[in-house]
Amino acid sequence: MPNRLEITLKSDLFDAEGEGIRQKATHYFGINLSQVRTIHVITIDANLSDDQLKKIQTEVFTNPVTQISSFKPLPVEFGWTIWVGYRPGVKDNPGSTAVEAVEDILGVKFGPNEAIYTSKRFCLKGNGLTAEDTDKIAGELLANDIIQQWKIFSKHDWDPEAGIGIIIPKVKLNHIPAVITIPIDSDSTLKQISDERNLALNPNDIPIIRKYFLEENVQAARAKVGLSDPTDIELEYISQARSDHCNHNTFRGLFRYHDLAADNLELVDNLFKTCIETPTLTLKERKSWVVSVLWDNAGVGRFDQDHHYVITGETHNSPSNMEAYGGAITGIVGIYRDPMGTGKGSKLIMGSYGYCVGHRDYKGNLKPRLHPRRLLDGVIEGVRDGGNKSGIPTPFGQVFFHQGYMGKCLVFVTALGIMPAMVKDEPSEQKDISPGDLVIMCGGRVGKDGIHGVTAASESFSEHTPAGHVQIGDPYTQKKMHDFILEARDEGLIAFITDNGGGGLSSSVGESALFSNGCDIQLEKVPLKYEGLDQWEIWISESQERMTVAVRPEDLKHFLELSEKHAVESTVIGTFTDTGKLHITYNSETCAYIDLDLLTSGFPQWEFDAHWQPPDKRGLFEPVLKEPVDYKTLLKDILARPNICSKEWITRQYDHEVQGTSVIKPLVGTERDVNSDAVVLRPVLDSNKGLAFSQALIPTYSLIDAYHMTSCSIDEAVRRLIAVGANFEHIGGVDNFCWPNIQYDSKNNPDGKFKAAQLVRSCLALRDICQAYEIPLLSGKDSMYVDGHLPGRYGETHKVSALETLQFSATSVIDDITKCITMDSKMPGDLVYVLGVTRNELGGSEYYEHFGYTGLNVPRVMPDQFVPVYKAISHAIDREIVASAHGIYRGGLGVHLGLTAMGGNLGMEVDLANVPVDNIDRDDKILFSESAGRFIISIDPQHKELFENIFKDLPCACIGKITGKPDFVVKGINSKIIISVSVDSLKSSWKEPFKDLC
Amino acid sequence: MERAIQRPLLKGNSLQLTVDQNMKPKLSKVNALVLAGYGLNCDHETAYAFELAGAKATRVHINSLINRDVKLEDFQIMVFVGGFSWGDDHGAGVIQAVRFKTSLGKKLKEFIDNGNLVLGICNGFQTLVNLGLLPGFDHDYSKRSLALTFNDCGNFRDDWVNLKVNSASPCIFTKDMSCLELPIRHGEGKFYSDESTIERLVNNSQVVIQYSMPDGELANSAFPYNPNGSVLDIAGICDPTGRIFGLMPHPEAYNHPTNHPDWTRQKEELKRLGKVFEMVPTIGLQIFQNAVDFMQNS
Repeated sequence: MPNRLEITLKSDLFDAEGEGIRQKATHYFGINLSQVRTIHVITIDANLSDDQLKKIQTEVFTNPVTQISSFKPLPVEFGWTIWVGYRPGVKDNPGSTAVEAVEDILGVKFGPNEAIYTSKRFCLKGNGLTAEDTDKIAGELLANDIIQQWKIFSKHDWDPEAGIGIIIPKVKLNHIPAVITIPIDSDSTLKQISDERNLALNPNDIPIIRKYFLEENVQAARAKVGLSDPTDIELEYISQARSDHCNHNTFRGLFRYHDLAADNLELVDNLFKTCIETPTLTLKERKSWVVSVLWDNAGVGRFDQDHHYVITGETHNSPSNMEAYGGAITGIVGIYRDPMGTGKGSKLIMGSYGYCVGHRDYKGNLKPRLHPRRLLDGVIEGVRDGGNKSGIPTPFGQVFFHQGYMGKCLVFVTALGIMPAMVKDEPSEQKDISPGDLVIMCGGRVGKDGIHGVTAASESFSEHTPAGHVQIGDPYTQKKMHDFILEARDEGLIAFITDNGGGGLSSSVGESALFSNGCDIQLEKVPLKYEGLDQWEIWISESQERMTVAVRPEDLKHFLELSEKHAVESTVIGTFTDTGKLHITYNSETCAYIDLDLLTSGFPQWEFDAHWQPPDKRGLFEPVLKEPVDYKTLLKDILARPNICSKEWITRQYDHEVQGTSVIKPLVGTERDVNSDAVVLRPVLDSNKGLAFSQALIPTYSLIDAYHMTSCSIDEAVRRLIAVGANFEHIGGVDNFCWPNIQYDSKNNPDGKFKAAQLVRSCLALRDICQAYEIPLLSGKDSMYVDGHLPGRYGETHKVSALETLQFSATSVIDDITKCITMDSKMPGDLVYVLGVTRNELGGSEYYEHFGYTGLNVPRVMPDQFVPVYKAISHAIDREIVASAHGIYRGGLGVHLGLTAMGGNLGMEVDLANVPVDNIDRDDKILFSESAGRFIISIDPQHKELFENIFKDLPCACIGKITGKPDFVVKGINSKIIISVSVDSLKSSWKEPFKDLC
Repeated sequence: MERAIQRPLLKGNSLQLTVDQNMKPKLSKVNALVLAGYGLNCDHETAYAFELAGAKATRVHINSLINRDVKLEDFQIMVFVGGFSWGDDHGAGVIQAVRFKTSLGKKLKEFIDNGNLVLGICNGFQTLVNLGLLPGFDHDYSKRSLALTFNDCGNFRDDWVNLKVNSASPCIFTKDMSCLELPIRHGEGKFYSDESTIERLVNNSQVVIQYSMPDGELANSAFPYNPNGSVLDIAGICDPTGRIFGLMPHPEAYNHPTNHPDWTRQKEELKRLGKVFEMVPTIGLQIFQNAVDFMQNS
């Protein structure tokens, strides 16, 4: 008989969770509550005696010091109460650990039909609180109907004996798995079935697929194993493998790039090959530190003689847009599997985040599924739990607000790992599979998770329908697997490893099988979360926290022993072969039999028309803007803009120093509240070598030209590294593209050709700047289709496309971490220098945006002029004569001088007349131009001569000094003081927008 | 730091650490057991800190201890490390405490009775409290009378805090220390109990460290100096013998001078005085050193 236990804090104890909800109800909806108390509900669907129930109540689920509990509804007072629980099939992580604890303390084993479910009940009190208010709080704050269900009760409706009732969100499929054969008598039949089944086959691929299955020798071979026309599982496999996500068809496409102004047509065949692969492989020849790139789950660079570092990044946009918490936690936990599956496996050492969302205070008429504020709250929490519970520091991240992300948000996640250079005398970055090696699936079980992604979201729900298409990552299960994998690796038991992400087993086993050239899979061996999955569902399910490993038969016993020690489920699901075939059986009957080389033969290249019109020809122009007078208020207002201001509330939710490796933290300065340019880790604890990491994204420049958006983003990421003391000679990059749809359609995507041209230009910039800066692209991913259709006020819908966005991540190895520096001013009397030239480049700037302008003169990167400056800075930092260094990024010189002063909480006096400029004669342009290639540096005056010698013949000028006074003082080019304001006051403006959040 | 600590030979490109020449050669090393597995995550750096303090540290999976592949009696120091054991789903450290109580309760009691040391950091502290190893009044090591509950700020928080050490406390780990700075990283660190239990802890001098202001005065609940709303600013306590110590801050994450948030400022200040920023052992390591020294001498 099921039982329901309610647990709550003793009434005299402060309920922080409830208080958080109370405050949000006020701030988000204007609903004033006097009290919110939280009740945790544990529903035990198992056959336990009264004594057993009593024991788990007191010894596991109730803290005698702080909590009370009861198997009857708790009599906590409320006007309205809201119950929120998961839908069937949604990963209930606390439910699973509850089973572990109960089994442990009672010495019992739960049967397949027994489980524990967790949910919550919130008790709300407030004057005049209505059913409508309560439902709003439930649906827009506490629950997301994609993964959760809720009920509301008023005080009058409440039955104090029955409470919420007993709700068991158990998956019941009542379905007998079956393989279906798909007719292929014509292209149109197959197209129709593809549409019906959400196969998403590209129409151009359909003839190739049919041709294969109609070939005589293929048919003869298939007949021998009992197959005729393709099965559903086979077409699902082909669909997954041919998807843009797995195959990068867009980046491998043919672009007809037409520069309309110059009337010049250029064919760009395969952006990946021309702009990423070839330049990177050329650089790899010259840079001996590049260990492994462009084939594995992540790129590998040399850290020191005995260690390699591993890096990759991706996005998790669509799921996060639907269910922010679930999407983001699945994203960060998912990216952590990539380094685990790189080479023979690496240990995770850090993660980072990038969120691009609509404005937090959006009050317009568009109605996204989740308001940007709620969406941002959710993704922050998802990455928090995913990272913190994995024991991996999250020391770097960025947030960017723009209305273009209302259609679909961007959630970037990046992961770094480290591995020994050698594992049992073999290079760790290499892995291979021999025929006869066993196919092992490790980690979580398989359910209907992630099948066909978001298309499932439109299906209607029933009481027991698994809501699996949006997942909730489980860092606990994965952390156990991580520890297990590393021990197995060190014992030399892992021949090959890769992760299960998009496409599930279909991708991981399908791709692994290429290494031995074949595999036999017995699908019935795959452990399931619940019965009733069709074979094709098992094959493509994206259930998380799984790795696919190849283990030699002689190592199996030891491998499984270690797996058991770490409480990780590992199952042999087949054998690698060299037959050239992917052969899948289910209870000895063949359900798939496909030549692996099918996927590499003959599928047509995607093609795009790309039309480029230069910005001036598109009607962009420099605004007619006369110089301001009140610079003090202007600077304070710009510091308080959402894309400039302090976001300490996010940074501090992330554990940024677990593993004990922190050298340069995300927040620095006397009050530890100003953002560092980059972070530095000491990943090998007994070495003084460091790994520096930074990221940049400046999508507003895409309004003018994605070429310069891209080059400036790369330049910013590089300068961020240089500012903490990184080595310019060793910089590795990761490119993450997020682009709106580039396929032209006269009705649905009328500007598709322009967006395609922007993509071509972005890739060309990536090639040009990475070549000039000698940055191999260690890893990268592309995420297309960042568009959404949002309902408006009158029932109409609007297509909202994101800005063309590139997030660029950069890493560097630091030889001696004790020479690293931070951006905060250090001592009164220190001299302040500006390096690099400030130009009339305010196009796309924060300053123009503040007034609603875009402008035309977007900042440009000039590697020939910049690189000597970067090298000189590295040299000066290495000589230990630099007290602080900080790049000049978004917002320009004024903002970043202010941040340098705020970091040290010291005054500053500067004279704009001394700033190296090119063709600028106005203070506002000097203060707010976003020219690339620039730095602010402060030094001890005694190093003046030495410092200036290093920068002889380079753009470098002393513009003032750090002072012991409280004020930030700027003299304009006409020798008049244009800003005099206390550093405290600047800081309070900078902190104002999000000061109430923590 | 007043005195240097002995440490194992570190390989090339490592810290230039001074070795105390006056220290007597030791016959055998102190063995420290550092728990791992089931979502724990500070095992590597905790083991490293003990190694720097001259112990032989072994990371041991909880299951290896339970099934006796590794024997608790071979160790003199046991550490419950930080992390998210069992995902912290039903109260931080609760399920880990259940697992130990059902599988290792007796062995643990023997370990303590034999005069050994137990350290619980963050999730480990939460586990010690749920096991009842703390407060350990009247030699009762099974009673749950303290709680570490959700931070008043309502969120997980990573920050560095100032800590005041109670010199009257019998705690072995904080011997001769008066104040220190360490990072905290938790969502459930609010120390709570009823008034009489708190009073007893105070009277017994079992309160070892308290959150304080940068000037050394107690934080008196002021956020963020007291980051979680702990009663009496309590950040760490010991049992009446001083041999069991639990704390929310992470001494193992201050294992190197560059872990400190102000180190670049400190280095610059020293340079202006013509001094060198030396790679000396941190005050975080002192906690581990005190433990190793105590076991070495006992």
